[in-house]
Amino acid sequence: MKFKADEIASVISKQIEEFQGQVETSEVGRVLEVGDGIARCYGLSSAMSGEMVEFSNGVRGLVFNLEEDSVGVIILGDYLEITEGDEVRTTGALLSVPVGDALIGRVVDPLGNPIDGAGPIVASETRPVETAAPGVAARQPVTEPLQTGIKAVDAMTPIGRGQRELIIGDRKTGKTTIALDTILNQKGGDVICVYVACGQRDASVAGVVEVLKEYGAMDYTIVVSASASDPAPLQYVAPYTGAAMAEHFMYQGKHTLVVYDDLSKQAQAYRQLSLLMRRPPGREAYPGDVFYCHSRLLERSAKLNDELGGGSMTALPIIETLEGEVSAYIPTNVISITDGQIYLEPDLFFAGVRPAINVGISVSRVGGNAQIKAMKDKKVAGGIKLDLAAFRELEAFAQLGTELDKATQAQLDRGYRMVELLKQPQYQPLHVADQVISIFAGTNGVFDSVAPSEVAEQEQRLLQFIREEKSEIRNTIIETKALSDDTKDALLAAYKEFKDRIEATA
Amino acid sequence: MAASDTPIEKVKSVLDDPSARAITRVYADGFLSAARSMGSSEDALDEFQSFIDDVMKRYPEFARILNSSIVSRDDKIDLIQKVVGPFGSKLFTNFLCVLAKHERLGLLPLILKESRSRHEIQQGIRHVKVTSSEPLNENAVERIRSSMKQKMPFEPVIDLQTDPEILGGLVIQVGDTVYDGSLATRLKKLRERIGERTLNEIQSGRNRFSHIEAN
Repeated sequence: MKFKADEIASVISKQIEEFQGQVETSEVGRVLEVGDGIARCYGLSSAMSGEMVEFSNGVRGLVFNLEEDSVGVIILGDYLEITEGDEVRTTGALLSVPVGDALIGRVVDPLGNPIDGAGPIVASETRPVETAAPGVAARQPVTEPLQTGIKAVDAMTPIGRGQRELIIGDRKTGKTTIALDTILNQKGGDVICVYVACGQRDASVAGVVEVLKEYGAMDYTIVVSASASDPAPLQYVAPYTGAAMAEHFMYQGKHTLVVYDDLSKQAQAYRQLSLLMRRPPGREAYPGDVFYCHSRLLERSAKLNDELGGGSMTALPIIETLEGEVSAYIPTNVISITDGQIYLEPDLFFAGVRPAINVGISVSRVGGNAQIKAMKDKKVAGGIKLDLAAFRELEAFAQLGTELDKATQAQLDRGYRMVELLKQPQYQPLHVADQVISIFAGTNGVFDSVAPSEVAEQEQRLLQFIREEKSEIRNTIIETKALSDDTKDALLAAYKEFKDRIEATA
Repeated sequence: MAASDTPIEKVKSVLDDPSARAITRVYADGFLSAARSMGSSEDALDEFQSFIDDVMKRYPEFARILNSSIVSRDDKIDLIQKVVGPFGSKLFTNFLCVLAKHERLGLLPLILKESRSRHEIQQGIRHVKVTSSEPLNENAVERIRSSMKQKMPFEPVIDLQTDPEILGGLVIQVGDTVYDGSLATRLKKLRERIGERTLNEIQSGRNRFSHIEAN
């Protein structure tokens, strides 16, 4: 298309005609000192905490510290251009970011500026980055499931809409992958996703965006990126920005999912700012309010009541631990704030169990209510967690090389196959009906005669068989979301047919 | 080299250490209230000023002795009593002794400045910085003064400044508050608004041609 130059010229001339100069009133101060991402300013006697200020070169800042004689400001932008003696003005506004549909499919920085080179974002609305979390009366219990598409998660640590489920583990254990799979699984659904990259390498952020694009997930996803090379203030603000963008949709009655990847880096950025601001350091040199920094962020996730539209915001914060140390300061803080955690272990990861979820200490405190009936069934995921725990114990015992009776050996064999069954390659989320079909098959011993290394392949074949030839069973599960006795019988019959066919070909 | 000149200029304008200012405020308040109870604070301030101008500036060696940390506290007090005592008022001599006792003699010029400004505020006088692009004539200054007097609860003392960069209009600063009616700021606002409007217009033009569902 072509823009009509005279149309735009007329807009401009109308603007000039209508322009009314108003005397601008503002508080001013002067920069006393500038540090890494912070400035100490003199004057600004009526500045408010959290207020946005503007430096003379147009860079924005956020009032962070109010002291007797000076004001501490964190600089949201290039702090190298600000020098001692520069003028600072208050704006009387809180830090806000553009929100709305215009942002979907875009990659933005924590101030809402596009960084994907796809043109300006014209958003009709803005929203303050820091807002109060919805109160008790505004919420309702979490009862709807948020399907992650990962068998191990949906079966054992289910996540509900409005829940906060922590993903915790050492570096390179697949934390981001779980979050990404969850985003990919929302394709075609009604959930808007926000991925907040905080303190990540630029290359990994580019990789994430690439994956999202490849699988068509950018159509319903916003990426907020404050990479490791961005100044600490931006890394500190990024999660709040992501929350504000998701909140906008939540208050419209829509469902949202926010991934904070990762909050340990944000805590480090906050520690840097606090120490530069000379706030007293506490444990691990974090400031005393680092707990509040995370709790006020995660409390904003909610399932709103029906009067407010019933929207929800599910949060998947990610925390990176060092050598499995979950009792460090930030991990314990975030564990205590969230409604459960998915714990990933390097040992499992390198043993080929991927996703490397440690079933024993991963929990979901509310998600059980949100599981669909079919999944909750005793014969499906209901007893799987205990069974796996019993298997782990037996496995350790069996390593002593003692003679095992037949029943124990059978239980062990079943266990090996269940572990195989819960493995899942990345970026291949499964529909919940398929998950039910394959876990139900596992607990009914369909794969008992298959070598453990071939379970994955046989599972694929089984799912294909059901999809192609027994699609009515699958459709019933999708529609009713339950596993009635009739459906169970039909499934068992289908399993038998499948087994017979395998044996016939073998 | 104009470029290298600017930062130096900037540093000059930077104010004193804020923690030092917090201290000077305490001494200035104390000095003024003592002066008021013993007579006129005006006279006390004049005496203070003349001590700075006629003694400290004229005899830098004396100032150096007072600021030096080699000279002990008691010696300084002794010196003050011998040198200032016979000429100055009792109030001022005592004030200097108190400062000497607390080792704050180095802050003297700052305390004078602070005392003056606090005295003016108490008298209902405030300094107002008026910046214009061209030097203002008497008439205009008088008009600004009288209109400010009506609107503000104090007696304005106008400090004039010229800055060609504001292009036109006036920028008036009272304390930390700036009333910016300059042409430069208005143009900046206009530019922002035109940019925003044009962007919106372009976007809506684009929407007109594209499929509604595609948005």
